[in-house]
Amino acid sequence: MQMTLTQTLVMALIQIVAVLAFIFVVVPMLTFAERKVIGYVQVRLGATRIAGGRKGLTGAVNKIMWWMGHFPVISFFRGLPTFMADGIKLVTKEDIMPAKADKFVFWLAPILCMVPAFAVFAAITFYPGVLGVFPTWVPIVGGLPVDGYITDINVGLLYILGLASVGVYGIVLGAWASNSKYPLLGGLRSAAQVISYEVPLTLSLLAPVILTGSLNFKTMSVELATGMSPWAILPLFIGFFAYITCGFAETNRVPFDLAEAESELVSGFHTEYTGMKFGWFFLSEYTNMIVVSALASAFFLGGHYFLPFGFQQFVPASWGWFAQPHLIFFLLKVFFLLFVFLWVRATLPRYRYDQLMSVGWKYFIPLTLVNLFIAGLVRFMA
Amino acid sequence: MRGYVPILLLLLIAGALPLAVWTLSRLLRPRFPSAAKASPYECGITPTSEAREKFSVRYYLVAVLFLVFDVETVFLTPWALQSKELGLFGLVEIGLFLFLLLFGYGYIWSKGALTWE
Repeated sequence: MQMTLTQTLVMALIQIVAVLAFIFVVVPMLTFAERKVIGYVQVRLGATRIAGGRKGLTGAVNKIMWWMGHFPVISFFRGLPTFMADGIKLVTKEDIMPAKADKFVFWLAPILCMVPAFAVFAAITFYPGVLGVFPTWVPIVGGLPVDGYITDINVGLLYILGLASVGVYGIVLGAWASNSKYPLLGGLRSAAQVISYEVPLTLSLLAPVILTGSLNFKTMSVELATGMSPWAILPLFIGFFAYITCGFAETNRVPFDLAEAESELVSGFHTEYTGMKFGWFFLSEYTNMIVVSALASAFFLGGHYFLPFGFQQFVPASWGWFAQPHLIFFLLKVFFLLFVFLWVRATLPRYRYDQLMSVGWKYFIPLTLVNLFIAGLVRFMA
Repeated sequence: MRGYVPILLLLLIAGALPLAVWTLSRLLRPRFPSAAKASPYECGITPTSEAREKFSVRYYLVAVLFLVFDVETVFLTPWALQSKELGLFGLVEIGLFLFLLLFGYGYIWSKGALTWE
């Protein structure tokens, strides 16, 4: 059934609001989870209360959180209001514009960083089918199915890769516009790192493209989970580890967070940024983590199906629920990978810059090229 | 082309979002500018020089190498899409292409372009 333009727009608007709500729920929870997970890994409690002492609203909140400490699992969620406190803090902080900064570029850089990070969600398939149907009494979109994706374009992966690499402009322009030494050094390092790891990242994602012969996100994720020859497990397995490592480097996360090496570079490219301008850099970094996790789960970890690396084809149809695609499988995989991001941060030390560059150029590019060739062989044999 | 309408809409919304939040934050945040606050961060000393000075040529080298390898991925993508249809011919051809590329890769490696000192 062909939708009218108005229906397409309204439907897209509803889905976009849902996806943005997803981002704005997951990112603050991720910052909270980061504190708690790293805290528990290092045998301390992480955030347990918010500032403000014993009086007033904050006092009441702190009293509830003290009480929550008496119960085993619930005690983990003490300190949950910190993410709200963080948000309020970012919005109400004074906005400082460095005197020598290039004002327009300084202002533009966070937007350049964050718009691509959000826009890639247009091509991400959360569920390869119809999530539900609007009741007929709803105006304009009544009776129309809600897809598990915002749009289904046939160059989905190309769109994601192209747009995701725009983010580096935000980093390098923000660093340059600050007109300060630490941001400039951090921004240059970050840009060199991001473009170095972009090559193996793209190459590792080409292996799934070879195996499926498609760039459409939905087709790829479904095909990779169900329709592969058993040999495809090998290139998918290698590709996953190459991809996730490059993803860590692309998002400037530990162990590759050289741009934010606080012992050398204060805070990297966003040293001069304050308030919500910093907030958008922060938000785009965490959104990029979600994007990397979503791509890794969709293409390598079996996407919307139960088992990763193409093992799903061995699941018989009699397993019922586990033989079908589900939104929950996809989200669980994404959240697991986000947990891995935090886990790695708590576990691994930071790389040295020369090591970082040589790992990218000398190990990952050959590895992913060989992986491409293996994928080509598998595709040819199948 | 209908599939690209939601993308345009998302780009518009994503662009409007920071503007909206900045407007909100402008109403809420304090504003006490001072010369010391607006000077570049410099670990406690007064800035002595412009920040935009010379930096290592290595960064340019990385950018050039990135261009080479990125063009290579552009060449690989059409084959990746059509590898089934191109069959053995395509596999041999791309093998030759990768072999030539590995040759150049070995050359820049031996020249030390990949080592960061």
